Amino acid sequence: MTILNRVSVWLAIAGAMLAAWVVLTAGKNQPMPTPLVEPPRSPYETTVAATGIIEAANENVRIGPPMAGLVTNVFVTVGDRVREGDPLLQLDDRDLRAQLVARQAAIPPAEAQVEEQKYRIGDLDTQLKRLKSVRDSRAVSEDDVKRTWYASEMAKRALNRYEATLKQVIAQRDETQMLLDRLTVRAPRAATILQVNVRAGEFALTTGATEPLMLLGDIQQLQVRAEVDEVNAPLVAPNRPGIAYLKGNTAQAIPLTFVRIEPYIVPKKSLTGDNSERVDTRVLQIIYRFERPAFPIYAGQQVDVFIERAPDGPPAPAPGSARSAEEPTK
Amino acid sequence: MNYIALRMLFGDRAKYLMLLCGLTFAVMLIVQQGSIFWGLMIWSQSSISNLNVPIWVTDPGIAQVDEVKPIADTTVDRVRSIPGVEWAVPLYKGLLRARLENGEYHQITLTGLDAATLIGRPAEVLEGRFEDLRQPDAVALDQWAVERMGGPTVITVGTVFELNDKLARVVAIAKTQKTFTNIPVVYTTYERALRYVPRERRTLSYVLAKAKDSAPVDEVIQRIRDHTGLGAFTADAFGWKTIGWVLKNTGIGINFGTTILLGFVVGMAIAGQTFYLFTVENLRQFGALKAMGASTATLARMILLQAFTVGVTGYGVGIGLATVFGLLTAQEGQLPFLETWPLLLLVFVALLMICTLSALISIIKLARLEPAIVFR
Repeated sequence: MTILNRVSVWLAIAGAMLAAWVVLTAGKNQPMPTPLVEPPRSPYETTVAATGIIEAANENVRIGPPMAGLVTNVFVTVGDRVREGDPLLQLDDRDLRAQLVARQAAIPPAEAQVEEQKYRIGDLDTQLKRLKSVRDSRAVSEDDVKRTWYASEMAKRALNRYEATLKQVIAQRDETQMLLDRLTVRAPRAATILQVNVRAGEFALTTGATEPLMLLGDIQQLQVRAEVDEVNAPLVAPNRPGIAYLKGNTAQAIPLTFVRIEPYIVPKKSLTGDNSERVDTRVLQIIYRFERPAFPIYAGQQVDVFIERAPDGPPAPAPGSARSAEEPTK
Repeated sequence: MNYIALRMLFGDRAKYLMLLCGLTFAVMLIVQQGSIFWGLMIWSQSSISNLNVPIWVTDPGIAQVDEVKPIADTTVDRVRSIPGVEWAVPLYKGLLRARLENGEYHQITLTGLDAATLIGRPAEVLEGRFEDLRQPDAVALDQWAVERMGGPTVITVGTVFELNDKLARVVAIAKTQKTFTNIPVVYTTYERALRYVPRERRTLSYVLAKAKDSAPVDEVIQRIRDHTGLGAFTADAFGWKTIGWVLKNTGIGINFGTTILLGFVVGMAIAGQTFYLFTVENLRQFGALKAMGASTATLARMILLQAFTVGVTGYGVGIGLATVFGLLTAQEGQLPFLETWPLLLLVFVALLMICTLSALISIIKLARLEPAIVFR
């Protein structure tokens, strides 16, 4: 065959084969690399997904100072169990203690004044008795008797006044004492110290602080606060079971038991863990209880929550329909 | 007859080579330009293919992948709530400036992957461990970032640089496909990405999802659209959307289209002219054949055989040369070059058209041929 004697034909065959090889080997899609951990998956056929945070069962207490002031002493450390009334921290009280010294010093003079007045009354009373016992009107004038009687009565009124002053001085001392007591912040209930954000020497603010001085909570019993986007709120039915996965641990699911739906929709707070969250939507909060699992779990941890929808629950709303359904009827 | 036709074709070496060169050149030009064009288009949607996840959810008005329209954080949960969705994870994507130790600034694309699963991570890691992204301040780069930011002497595993005044430490270098804009890609976790970027009210760029194996992807996508009012696309559809955007908003399509058209026209001109000359020179021989009683149809078949033989040979050599060009220049993905079989098929059809057209001119000439020409 003439055709096979040509170099160009062989070149053409080689070129076509090379091109075919390149086309066939290149451009093959690699499969997606397997995720490091399995992503959270819903175990239910129809579900409402939510983001949740683990918290102490009877809500955490964010301790705040009664007034702005310097912190001089912190009595507890993180993890301490405290009973109701245990001191947590001490604010600077030197000005009040100075005042207390002055107020305390004001009590003895007032007391002395009362004592003094009592003797004066005794003196006047004795005088009056003696004057009255003299029958001779020439020896003791009516006028003298009257005068002494008035003097005695006035001394008694003065005693009343001095006693009132004494009470006032004591009350003033008690006031300072109470104000002093107020500067010692005490645990409002038995709890565990979860966070201490203040050290001795720092200034405690009453307003504008981004984090509480201390965070108290009962970590014996934990609960999950699941947040559902307000758009999905109509899909949530009470008493449906749920399941939670700790972030990064989808192998072990935590079964949840329904407790309640918070009746007020709040601006979304959790997800980034940032302490001043950016509000972009509002969320419905649902509280779930769970048994402490075998693996460690901490208050404040984020979880992915899946809630089973009601069997014949409301269908997922078409866009816009959720709004029109909620239109007020007049 | 076929034998005679081929002998005629190969007999005139100079003409044959001229024909071959013309066709080879045309094929090579079209294949090479087409491959570069397609390579560029693939690059323009690298941001999608590099992440390699099936479903993308974002604002319905999205035009292309690099144009981020942030959505509310809770969208992840809303997508998870759609029946038929197996999983959904957040993705942050945005531009940021990196400041290197030597004081240089580089524009980068920050990509925040879901911290737990790292879904969307590159399949191939050149250095370090991608899992180390969970360490504090850790980021991973792609190999183009290393190249753009000063090479392996400046950037390597362990290098620290600043992102928006915050520390970033390189823990891995991954192999990805180059992108159209070639902005270095910095991978980190979603939460850390939010820490790096300036405050915005909405931060989530995309929700990446996968449909359950039991549910048809199209149905799930339609359901996501209906229930959330957001835009949901398969990776393919999103890629095509991005390519469409690039074609519409840049001159690339017209540029390459013109070149390809020129290749076609020039190839056709050379082939047609040479082939016509070839036929004219051999008119006497054809006349003799006609005089011997060969019909016009037989002659036409001969011409077509000659045309297709030289055409197919030129095609083979042409695509071979284009492939060699591709292999030499586009090593390691430095240049956009992607040969695909639809392109090769298209070029083949175009070539057959060139051959048929140029043969047709000659056939018309032959049909009017008087056998008496032999005796002139």
